[in-house]
Amino acid sequence: MSVTREKIRDFVVENFLFGESNGLKDETSFLDEGIIDSTGILELVNFCEEEFSISVEDEELVPENLDSINNVVAYLENKITS
Amino acid sequence: MNIPIICMRCILPETFPGIKFDDQGICNHCHREESAIEKARDKKAEYRHRLDELILSVKGKAPVYDAIMAYSGGKDSSYTLKLLKNHYSLRILAFTLDNHFVSNVAFDNIKKVVNALEIDHTCFMPPWPFMKRVFSRTAEEDMFPKPTLLRASSTCTACIGIVKSMVLKTALEMSIPLVAFGWSPGQAPIQSAIMKTNPALIRQNQSALKRAFPFDMSGEISQYFIPETYYETCKERFPHNIHPLAFFNYDEEEIKQELSNMGWMAPTDTDTNSSNCLLNALANQRHIERNGFHPYVWEIANMVRQKVMNREDGIEKIYTEQNRSMVDYAKERLNI
Repeated sequence: MSVTREKIRDFVVENFLFGESNGLKDETSFLDEGIIDSTGILELVNFCEEEFSISVEDEELVPENLDSINNVVAYLENKITS
Repeated sequence: MNIPIICMRCILPETFPGIKFDDQGICNHCHREESAIEKARDKKAEYRHRLDELILSVKGKAPVYDAIMAYSGGKDSSYTLKLLKNHYSLRILAFTLDNHFVSNVAFDNIKKVVNALEIDHTCFMPPWPFMKRVFSRTAEEDMFPKPTLLRASSTCTACIGIVKSMVLKTALEMSIPLVAFGWSPGQAPIQSAIMKTNPALIRQNQSALKRAFPFDMSGEISQYFIPETYYETCKERFPHNIHPLAFFNYDEEEIKQELSNMGWMAPTDTDTNSSNCLLNALANQRHIERNGFHPYVWEIANMVRQKVMNREDGIEKIYTEQNRSMVDYAKERLNI
């Protein structure tokens, strides 16, 4: 598991699943499964900004970037390399 | 009061999912929040500045209203309304969902506050048979995913889901750029206190919420959600959500004092965690029975940790048994 993936997973499990990761797959939709709601997304964004020294723009707050571990990792990798 | 083993700092109980205590009886959530609490002062100042900037950019530009406020008549939303009106001089539409369990005292408070602040107010009331079906179902079963239920009861989640959808729908229809909520500092974290909504995110969120309702209710519930066409036709008008109490000073007694100057009175017919809803005691009791912890404990524990509520008050709010007559009143009305 990449360091980025591990950090995102740990953050989601700790902050939204309160330490119980049962069933959280890399492709699990945070919104569909009620793990994170639309406002909770901003907690995740704040974590990404601080942890990876990036700035997430308003127009980037879309499910394609933030709705699963896979999506967040892909978004971050793209963001960091661009 | 029946107090289980709880965190020595924040009041979360041993029954809260995933909780771990150290040798001193302090929970893992308290330890995790330590650095955020240290930075809270700076963070609050930053968000105050961000809200000032946002308001400067939108104020006076919309056709009629600068902000729509989800207004329950309770203490926190009344105070938020006052803040937005007196501190920022916004043109506000206060929006109340009458869920058929709003205390008469809360309705009196709504009238007093909107009149004192000279704010327009609108009340939206879905028919009682529909609300009764929703509340009967949520009293009998947890229809939402488990992570959602860590922070609120099924009943509250259903009701607030309708409120959030209706205020957003109204904001889109009236081109209102700000949607305000009176979330307490423990209810929603500061990081989410200012958010630009967008069609893709809201569409998926709404779709997940709708799907949580039983299939036989999906048709009738849909009319209270954002119509599909709005995501395209209103795509340029999606507002900012704000909940300013996350970063303004919050002291429950001071808030009540300030509100009392407008004639607001704390209802005596609601439970310890609500200042407007007569259904809350039943919702809490059913949540505790099914999940083993109080649905408000996460919020109140956050407030104790942030020192905006003292621990004894938090314990009283959470570990006082639900008032039997309030529970019976709701059960009787729902025929359950």
